Amino acid sequence: MFFNVLAFGIMVGAIYTLITIGYSMVYGILRLMNFAHGDVYIFGTLVAWSLLSGYGWHPLPALLIAVLSGGILASVVEFVAYRRLRASQHRMISMITALGAAYIIQNASELKWGNQVLSFPSLFPPYTFSIGHMTLSLTNFITLLLALGVIAGFHAFLKHHKMGKAILCASEDLSTSALMGIPVNRTISIVYFLGGALGVIGGILYSASYNVIGISMGFRGTIVAFTAAVIGGIGSFSGAFLGSMILGVAENFVGVYVSSSFRDPIIFLFLILILLVKPTGIMGEIEIKKV
Amino acid sequence: MEQRQVLVAEPVGQFADVRHRDKGRDTLTLAKYAATTAVAAALLLFPIIVKDPYLVGLMNFMILFGICCLGLNLVLGYTGLLSLGHAAFYGIGAYTTAILMTRHGFGFLPSLALSGGLTMAVALFLGIPIRKVRGDYFCLITIAFGEIFRLVALAWIGFTGGAMGIVGIPVPKVLGYPLRNETDFYYFGLLLLLLTYLTLHLLVHSRFGRALVAIREDELAAQSMGINTPLYMVLSFTIGSFYAGIAGSLLAVYQTTVTPSNFRLEESCLMIIMVIVGGMGRLWAPLVGVLIMTVATELFRPLDQYRMMIIGSIMIAVLLFRPQGLLGISSFGD
Repeated sequence: MFFNVLAFGIMVGAIYTLITIGYSMVYGILRLMNFAHGDVYIFGTLVAWSLLSGYGWHPLPALLIAVLSGGILASVVEFVAYRRLRASQHRMISMITALGAAYIIQNASELKWGNQVLSFPSLFPPYTFSIGHMTLSLTNFITLLLALGVIAGFHAFLKHHKMGKAILCASEDLSTSALMGIPVNRTISIVYFLGGALGVIGGILYSASYNVIGISMGFRGTIVAFTAAVIGGIGSFSGAFLGSMILGVAENFVGVYVSSSFRDPIIFLFLILILLVKPTGIMGEIEIKKV
Repeated sequence: MEQRQVLVAEPVGQFADVRHRDKGRDTLTLAKYAATTAVAAALLLFPIIVKDPYLVGLMNFMILFGICCLGLNLVLGYTGLLSLGHAAFYGIGAYTTAILMTRHGFGFLPSLALSGGLTMAVALFLGIPIRKVRGDYFCLITIAFGEIFRLVALAWIGFTGGAMGIVGIPVPKVLGYPLRNETDFYYFGLLLLLLTYLTLHLLVHSRFGRALVAIREDELAAQSMGINTPLYMVLSFTIGSFYAGIAGSLLAVYQTTVTPSNFRLEESCLMIIMVIVGGMGRLWAPLVGVLIMTVATELFRPLDQYRMMIIGSIMIAVLLFRPQGLLGISSFGD
């Protein structure tokens, strides 16, 4: 039992990492709480649902298109609702336009797909096997591998690709990056695109392993991403990974051993406690304010 | 920026005990008084001229949100703290009144006072992290608190009634006079709104209010001026939440039921939107935001399925073209 919960928690943690990375990166660069993040990834996941269940596409092209749609939607939101407000305005303003964008996407998704919970098809054959004390389903196993693979690939992209390095520079200091000749606007568009796309991958993996999808999950996704990012230390890649893992595992343990209806309140309480003890998160650095 | 203007206008410094004087105030006085009188008369006569209970009910809804948003403006507009858990304070007020009146036989006015008091106590407790946690992290604490409140209200069925909430809250009596219909509630709500406005007006134009503005403009500078910034922030948060508790209490007796669905994050966001659309940092501007958002919501009711989309578009459009809100002070900047 213990090991099963742990294994499942790690899988959920890996999925949460995919959802959190985009959120955390945007925050790292723009200090913007992107309220639309959850709704963007749910939109992409619903596109996947339509292509798979509605049109009966083969998973591979369907998932590709869904991931692209999530990425494109995220960059469009950035272009319409955030870009003009980036310079010199109070940050609260772009948070509110983010909320506005979230409302619009949520409403549009609701018009298309309705607000009931739909059943998402499994992507992998139902097959279980056991390692030691753990009983794993094939879906969990592949999901975990895929998620970890994408995370590793993305990490390599950030460290070695020119664009990835530009993203890291921008999150270090946006205005200095602009002075160094990094195309800031394009970099930010790409961050949004990648964040949305990774979120959709996470959303699809999550929906495929729980077999549910519904627009009400979007807002929870935003909160999960925010919570995980803060636990780990917002804005940092390793922080997003660590925070998501902690959240995924803790959530499953609380759900199984304590109470499933009080699961989310306990998680939030946990979050408040972490903020009280270490406001910058586990991997976060203290920002020193200079005058 | 306003802080700088104050310093220019008041060479003795903004914390000296001199009332802040607006330039050109005298020329505006007459127009201002005329406008205020007209608005006051219109508000007083509203239920007499417009007999439609639907419209009076709409006004009651606006009054409830008006009280909340005036309080929120102290926190958001004057102190610069983004609190996304305001609906939870609204809810604490409502549940306190509901539980006291249905199960313990309390009268309305004692319940109202206790609701305000309890909300304040919770806000004070929640505000303590302000000593260490700032900005977005504080915002996250308020979101988390709001969600905890809502989820506990849903899950703790024995105490809060779960998703069904608490029903059958008795007719409230104010000094022996029962509030039975929309019009009764309208006048009582208007009185509370007026009291909210007046107390906040006194507060904002005091040393305390000026200290809050100083913190919003630059916390570090405020600190070096000798302001105990954490204390002022906690107090501002506590006082702002108090009004939400009062409004919640009124909501409970007005609706005669309370359910967790009244106090979701969506309501917190709606309050923030109302304050921001109206304009932050000007005392009465949130009321305009309440009016605009309520009227927009009602006008688009036939297009109910597109409602969120329309509200979202209004938010984005207003902020793209007037980032300080429709009536906000022009220089609200980082």
